[in-house]
Amino acid sequence: MKFNDLFGGFAFLALAGLVAFASWNLPNPSQQPLGPSAFPLILSGLLALCAALLAISGARATQAGPLIGLSDWARSGGALLRLLLVPAAVIFYMLFAETLGFLICATAILVVLFLAGHTKPLHAVGLSLAAALVIHSIFYLALGVQLPWGPLEPLRW
Amino acid sequence: MLDAYVTALGMVLDPYVLFVITASAIYGLVVGCIPGLSATMATALLVPLTFFMPPVPAIAAIVTTSTMAIFSGDIPGCLLRIPGTPASAAYVDDSYQMTLKGRPELALGIGLWFSVLGGLFGTAVMMVASPAIADFALGFGSVEFFWIVMLGLGGAVFIGSSTPLKACISLLIGLLIAMVGMNNPAGQPRFTFESTEMLGGVSLIPMMVGMFACSEVMRHMVSDGSAPHAVVQKIGPIFANMWRLTKQYPWQLIRGSALGTIIGIQPGSGADMAAWMSYAMSKRFSKEPEKFGTGHPEGLIEAGASNNSSLAGAWIPALVFGIPGDSITAIAIGVLMMKNMAPGPTIFVNNPENVYALFLVFVIANLLMLPLGWAIIKIATRVLSVPRRVLMPIILLFAIVGSYAINNSLFDVGVMLAFGVLAFVLEENDFPVAPVILGVVLGPLLEEYFINSMIKSDGRLIGLVDRPIAAVLAAITIGIIGWTIIASIRASSRTEKLAGE
Repeated sequence: MKFNDLFGGFAFLALAGLVAFASWNLPNPSQQPLGPSAFPLILSGLLALCAALLAISGARATQAGPLIGLSDWARSGGALLRLLLVPAAVIFYMLFAETLGFLICATAILVVLFLAGHTKPLHAVGLSLAAALVIHSIFYLALGVQLPWGPLEPLRW
Repeated sequence: MLDAYVTALGMVLDPYVLFVITASAIYGLVVGCIPGLSATMATALLVPLTFFMPPVPAIAAIVTTSTMAIFSGDIPGCLLRIPGTPASAAYVDDSYQMTLKGRPELALGIGLWFSVLGGLFGTAVMMVASPAIADFALGFGSVEFFWIVMLGLGGAVFIGSSTPLKACISLLIGLLIAMVGMNNPAGQPRFTFESTEMLGGVSLIPMMVGMFACSEVMRHMVSDGSAPHAVVQKIGPIFANMWRLTKQYPWQLIRGSALGTIIGIQPGSGADMAAWMSYAMSKRFSKEPEKFGTGHPEGLIEAGASNNSSLAGAWIPALVFGIPGDSITAIAIGVLMMKNMAPGPTIFVNNPENVYALFLVFVIANLLMLPLGWAIIKIATRVLSVPRRVLMPIILLFAIVGSYAINNSLFDVGVMLAFGVLAFVLEENDFPVAPVILGVVLGPLLEEYFINSMIKSDGRLIGLVDRPIAAVLAAITIGIIGWTIIASIRASSRTEKLAGE
């Protein structure tokens, strides 16, 4: 997904404005000549300048190309779906890691991602179990990280 | 100094450290060899593990992995014409042509042998130069450091960037991210949205893992990801002709190593630029420039030595001033800070044995590259056939657990994802990602030096340039920035003129 620089310019201009707004009234307890708001204000000023330049160069390019250019992959629904699987997998982990435990969560994520990559189902399940166990051992056994067990708690080793 | 080296040697020869070095060497070689997995990603994925290690093995893991991965990026370039890491892209034509002529062992041998020599050259320069520079820099105050950081950031954004404006925006985003939390001279919480998790700022490890690993997985998801096929299966004796080539092209070896080291020292330009410039230099001064690109060893030797020597070169400003030369050293500086070994000239006074241990790790890693590199070349055709569609999901899981492990916090997993998506969107729109990391790592320092300098001068801007060294550094920085702006204005008016005609 490739946006015209006009969009990027306006987005960063808005960001610069938000930062400036949020840092304007930061308290300056020690009454120094430059308090905690000084540096963010300078940065937001520079960002606004760069964003404006970007928007101008984007506006010049509007005649040359479309406002939103689709990369090759974005034209195929399959690729877009596979792309969305990545954030979906991470969010799934964040939501269910505590209740389902690491091993179940990790295996489920891997199976889905392997299947999306056209791995044979039986291979996908085997690989997922093996990879989840290996990563679990690295972090739980070797590094002592307390990964959640979930319903597998009675099996804890 | 000798005493410190003896202590350092003892620290490095510890069995645990040697085990970490060997394991990271194998890991770096394998990851660098697989196309699509960069040396930066290999290093970023390792950071969560180094969190659980003492300082010396932690930094040894980073150094060894990056050294090995830069070399082994040559392997898929030679066998498949796909450079494993961007640093190998410059000479991929020459090495692939050698493979097509049935001599892959020559290309791989050159890659290995001259990487080792270049790496050792850069290490030697680093061992001699950085304590001397640090000694000189001990007298620097906040003003000088402010300009050194500015010079580093300016170089990163304005030198060798195809889109300076976008690189500048990336850098500002990084600097703004660094403002989050209470880590500022006044100790005030800023941009925390009333969240206690944000008080400490954006955690560096999940951020780096997200930007360099999670985004890579996303990019893979939209590509086809089938394993490419190597044209050769058998690789002959690797070291057969190396001594002859070393004697035939000694000047190329020295020139490549020297230029690589210098480019490495120059903040913002890393191994890939070193390889491109050395390859071009080699062609420019060659007696047979017409042979370049057809499987000629000369450019391979010079550029192969160059990209490995630049790695050591990049560590000089990283150690002495805390300024990363490229994204790998930015990650490494993050690890050093995490281990309470904040880089700077005083590290050579307070922690000399740790710094010397780092030097020794560089030497060991480069020497270890000979046997292990030989082994990976021998099994390379099999490593290359590991499908990426199997690796990528595992990398994602590793990224999730790695981000979680630091603080047992699911919030950090979210941070990882957010920065993965940010990096993916930025790169899709041609914004470079490395300046973001540089900004985040250097942001707190830049602010501290700036505010301290301004307080010393009672808020007058002249205080930034009224000391001689500071004035010189300021002039160089402003020169670089001004020159780039003028050059880009000229270039755009020229293209407009062309379009008008």
